[in-house]
Amino acid sequence: MMAKELFPEAQELRKGRIRIETTKDKVTEIVKKLKENGYEHFVMLSCVDWIKDGKFELVYHMWSYEYREHVMISIKVDRDGDSMVTLRDLFPQIETYEREIHEMFGVNFVGNPRLGEFILEGWPHMPPMRKDFDTEKFVNEIYYKIPEVKEE
Amino acid sequence: MTLNHDDWGKVARMMSKRSLWMVHFCTGCGAMEMPPVMTSRYDMERFGMHAMATPRQADVFLVTGYLAVKTLKRVVQVYEQMRDPKYVIGFGSCTINGGMYWDSYNTIKDLSKYIPVDVYIAGCMPRPEAIIDSFLKLMDMIDKGEAIGWKKYHKYYDQYKRNQRMAYSYRLDEVEDIKEDDAK
Repeated sequence: MMAKELFPEAQELRKGRIRIETTKDKVTEIVKKLKENGYEHFVMLSCVDWIKDGKFELVYHMWSYEYREHVMISIKVDRDGDSMVTLRDLFPQIETYEREIHEMFGVNFVGNPRLGEFILEGWPHMPPMRKDFDTEKFVNEIYYKIPEVKEE
Repeated sequence: MTLNHDDWGKVARMMSKRSLWMVHFCTGCGAMEMPPVMTSRYDMERFGMHAMATPRQADVFLVTGYLAVKTLKRVVQVYEQMRDPKYVIGFGSCTINGGMYWDSYNTIKDLSKYIPVDVYIAGCMPRPEAIIDSFLKLMDMIDKGEAIGWKKYHKYYDQYKRNQRMAYSYRLDEVEDIKEDDAK
C-alpha cells in the first residue's frame, strides 16, 4: 500500500514526495507500518534547528523501490533537554544518524547505547550545529588567539 | 684537499635534495592534484621524488589542504615519526589562513602554529606546475641550508606542543591541566 492510502493526512508536495507531520510518540508506529508496506529503504534522519520556535525538527526519510516514492516523516521536539525514542531496532543504520544528531545538536535518543563521541574528539563546548552556537566568535576566540611560535 | 665538517654537510645536502621522498599521506582536496604530479603527465620522479607509504623513510610531508583538529593529531604524529632532516610543504590557502574554512569551528587556520612549514604554495587549488615549482624551491632551499623547519621544531618544541594542546582541547586556558595528564 502506498503512503497516501496508509495515512490519509499525508501531504503530497509533488509527485513522489510525501510529507507526514506527526508527533514524536507516533513515529515508531508510522515507520514500522511503512516498512511493512514496501518502504524498505531508510534513507536518512536529518535535523533542523528552528531557533525562533524553540524546536528541533527531526525528519525521517524513507524510500520505496516499488512505488518510487519518498516519504518524509517530520516531528518536532523541544530544543532544551527533550528526548526522542531510538528507532535502531527497526533499521540498524539509524543508530549512526542518531549519534551524529546527538553530537551536533544535542538531541537525546533514549535507548541508543552509543551516544558518545562520534566525529569530534574531546569537544568541550555547545553542540556546534545549533544556531545559537556563534561559529565566528568561537573561531576568533580559539583559533586566531592561539599564539604564533616566537623565534628568538 | 681535506674537507671539514661544513663541507660534508654541503655534500650531503646536495645529494639529499635530489632524492626527496614524500609521505603518502594526503588530507583535504589537495590530494586530487597529486596524481597528475606523481604520474606521467608531470612526473615528479624526474626530480628524484616519489611517494613512500611509511613516514620513517620519507623526507617531505605535503599537507594537502584543510586540517580538522582530528586530522591535525594524525599529522603531528606522522611528522614526529619522520626522521631528520624533514621538510613540510603547506599546500593551498587552507594551510596558510584557513582558506574557505576561515570560520569553520573544527579546522585549524594557520599550519605554521602547529608544525614548522618550509614552503607554502598559494592557491585553491594550486596547479601541478605550482607544486613542481615548490619542489624546486624546496630543493634550492635545502641546497643553501635554508630549509631548517625541523631544527625549529626541536628548538621551539614547547611552543609547538602548547599550540597543539590548545587546538586539541579547543581551549586556551586549560593547557596546564592537559600537560599533567600527559605526564601520567
